Amino acid sequence: MRTIEFNCPIIDHESINGQTVVLTLEAPAIAQIAYPGQFVNLTSNQFLRRPIGIMNADPARGSIQLGIRIAGEGTRFLAKRKKGDILSLLGPLGRGFNLEGARRVITVGGGTGVFPLYFVQKVCQARDLEGIAVCGYRSLGDSFLTDQYKALTCQTLFASEEGDDMDFSGHAVAALDDLLAKLPLVPETRILTCGPEKMMASVAALADEYGISCQVSLEERMACGIGVCLVCACKIKRGDEQGAEYQRCCTEGPVFNAEVVEWQI
Amino acid sequence: MADLTVCVGNIPFANPVIAASGTFGFGREMRNFQNLGRIGGICSKGLTLLPRDGNPAPRVAETASGMLNSVGLQNPGFTSFLANELPFMIDLGCRIIVNIAGNDPEEYLEMCRRLDATSVDAIELNLSCPNVKEGCMLIGSNPEMIEKLVAAARQVTKKPLWAKLTPNVTSIADMARAAESGGADAVVLINTLLGIAIDRKLRRPILRNNIGGLSGPAIKPIALRMVAETYRAVSIPIVGVGGIMSGNDVLEFMIAGATAVEVGTANLIKPTACQDIIDEIRAIMELDGVSEVGQYTGTLELWNG
Ligand SMILES: Cc1cc2nc3c(=O)[nH]c(=O)nc-3n(C[C@H](O)[C@H](O)[C@H](O)COP(=O)(O)OP(=O)(O)OC[C@H]3O[C@@H](n4cnc5c(N)ncnc54)[C@H](O)[C@@H]3O)c2cc1C
Ligand SMILES: Cc1cc2nc3c(=O)[nH]c(=O)nc-3n(C[C@H](O)[C@H](O)[C@H](O)COP(=O)(O)O)c2cc1C
Ligand code: FES
Repeated sequence: MRTIEFNCPIIDHESINGQTVVLTLEAPAIAQIAYPGQFVNLTSNQFLRRPIGIMNADPARGSIQLGIRIAGEGTRFLAKRKKGDILSLLGPLGRGFNLEGARRVITVGGGTGVFPLYFVQKVCQARDLEGIAVCGYRSLGDSFLTDQYKALTCQTLFASEEGDDMDFSGHAVAALDDLLAKLPLVPETRILTCGPEKMMASVAALADEYGISCQVSLEERMACGIGVCLVCACKIKRGDEQGAEYQRCCTEGPVFNAEVVEWQI
Repeated sequence: MADLTVCVGNIPFANPVIAASGTFGFGREMRNFQNLGRIGGICSKGLTLLPRDGNPAPRVAETASGMLNSVGLQNPGFTSFLANELPFMIDLGCRIIVNIAGNDPEEYLEMCRRLDATSVDAIELNLSCPNVKEGCMLIGSNPEMIEKLVAAARQVTKKPLWAKLTPNVTSIADMARAAESGGADAVVLINTLLGIAIDRKLRRPILRNNIGGLSGPAIKPIALRMVAETYRAVSIPIVGVGGIMSGNDVLEFMIAGATAVEVGTANLIKPTACQDIIDEIRAIMELDGVSEVGQYTGTLELWNG
C-alpha cells in the first residue's frame, strides 16, 4: 500500500451540533483506495497530527468524508475550518475491517465510533450484504448521522442512553444483546465495533457468547501514524506462544480480531 | 552546484542529514514517501541483545512544540535484526548506522563484535535512553563508565564508534571528553530530555511510564548550546540532534560545531522531512554563496565581554 501526503481542500462542511462536524474533502487518490476502518492523520494548529477515521469515500466524486467530534484544541481547530480551507493529511492509513466471506454484517458504534462504521454499511450495500447498524448515543439531542444510515439498505437500531425517543432505550451493548436474542442466526455473520474501549470489550464478549466472529477498532495515542515511532502500542495476544506483545495501532491496526485483544480496562 | 558531502571521521556522507534512531524504524515504511538513497544515512531503531516489549501505552504526550515518548526501546532483538532488517537496510543505498543499547557493558560488546562482520557504516552506542530502568543512561551519566565502555568496544570492532550522549547530566562536554578518551570516532548529541506531562483532571501523568523523553523544536536551543560547548571540548566530530525541522536548523547546528546532524521528531510530523531538509540546505547555500556545506561547521563567533 502506498500512503502519501496530500493537501486537500474542504469542499463541504456540515455542522451537526456545536460539538460535531462532517467535513467533505477533495482527496481523489485516497478515495480510490480507502476501505472501511482505515484512517487519515491530519495536521491542525497543534504539533502532532490527529488521527481521524474515514467515514466515507466516494471514488467517483474523488472525495472522502470525516466525522469529527471536538475533544480538545486540535479537533476544535479542525472543526472550525471552512469550505475552501486546505488540510494536510496522510492516508489512507492502517488495516481496516475485513468483510471477506461475510453474509451479514452487524456494526456496533458508540459515540464517534458511529462515523467510521457508516463506511462499512455503505460498502455492505454496494456488495449486497445484509447489514444491521446499531448506533449508540448519549441522547437524541446528541445523535448524528441517523438520516444517512437510514438512507442505506441496512437495518438500523438507534439506542439512546437517556432513553429518549429512539429505537432502543439503553446502551448500544444492551441494544445488541436484545437484537441477538431475537434474531435468527445466519452463518458468516460478523460483528464490527468501534467506540469506547469498555463498550467494545462488552460487544466482543457478547459476540463470543453467540459464537459470532468480531472485529474491533482500537484507539491509541499516535504520533507518526505510519509505523515508524512505536508510540501507538496495543497489547495483542501472541498467536502460538503464551503471552502478549505490543503491536502498532496505526499499522497492524486499528482493526483487530477481538479474540487477540488484551483489553486494558 | 552546492557540495553537500561531509565526512564524519573517515566515512563520507552524501549530505549531512541522517535519520535519527527511533523515528525512522528500519526504513521500510519511509520508502513509501521518499527515495532513501538520497538521504545521508539512517540510524536504526535502538536494539538490545534480546527482544524488548517496551512500555505500556500511552507512550506519547504532546507538549508545547514537542512531544514526550516512553516507548522503552521496543525492538525485535539484535539477532532478529541481523537476519530480517539489516540486509534490507544495507540495500537502501545510504549510510547505515546501527544504534545499540545494552543492559550491561557485556551486551554492548557482544553486539559490537557481531556488527564487526557486517557492512554497517558505523555503530551508535546509545548511552542515553531515558526509558529503560537498567543500563544505558546509568553508563551515560558517568564519565569513567563511558570511557571504559567505549575503550572496550574499540577492542572488539574496527567499525566507527559513535557515542550518543544524554543531555540529562550536569556537563555533557565532560561525557564527550570521556567518549573521546575511550576512542570514540564521533559523539552524537543530544538524546531526549526527561520530562513529565500531567492530566489535571485525573491528577495523573499522561504517560503510563510516568516520565518520558522530550523531543522536537522545544529542545533545539538546549541541543545547540550543548553542541557549541562540546565543540570547544573535543576534537572528534559532533553529530548534532534535537528539534531540527528545517534546512536552516541544520545549518545552525553546523555553525555551533556539528559535522552532520540527525533528524528525529520531524519525520513523525512530515514523512518527507529528511528529503525536504536536504533541498532546503541546498537552496540556502546558494543564497549564502557557500559552495561546500562543511564550511559552516564550527563558525560560531561568541560575543566577548
Ligand atoms: C484510529 C483512530 C481513529 C479515530 N477516529 C476518529 C473519528 O472518526 N472522529 C473523531 O472525532 N475522533 C476520532 N479519533 C479520536 C481523535 O483522534 C481524538 O479525539 C483527537 O486526536 C483529539 O485531539 P485534540 O487536540 O482535540 O485533543 P487533546 O486532548 O488536546 O489531544 C492531545 C493529544 O492526545 C491525543 N488524543 C487525545 N484523545 C485521543 C483519542 N481519543 N484517541 C487518540 N488520540 C487522542 C491527540 O491526538 C493529541 O496528541 C480517532 C482516533 C484514532 C486513534
Ligand atoms: C519516538 C522516539 C523514539 C526514539 N527512540 C530512540 C532510540 O531507540 N534510540 C536512541 O538513541 N534515540 C531514540 N530517540 C531519540 C532521537 O533519536 C533523538 O535523539 C531525539 O528525539 C532528539 O531529536 P529530535 O528532537 O529531532 O527528535 C527516540 C525519539 C523518539 C521521538
Ligand atoms: S503512531 Fe507511530 S508507529 Fe503508530
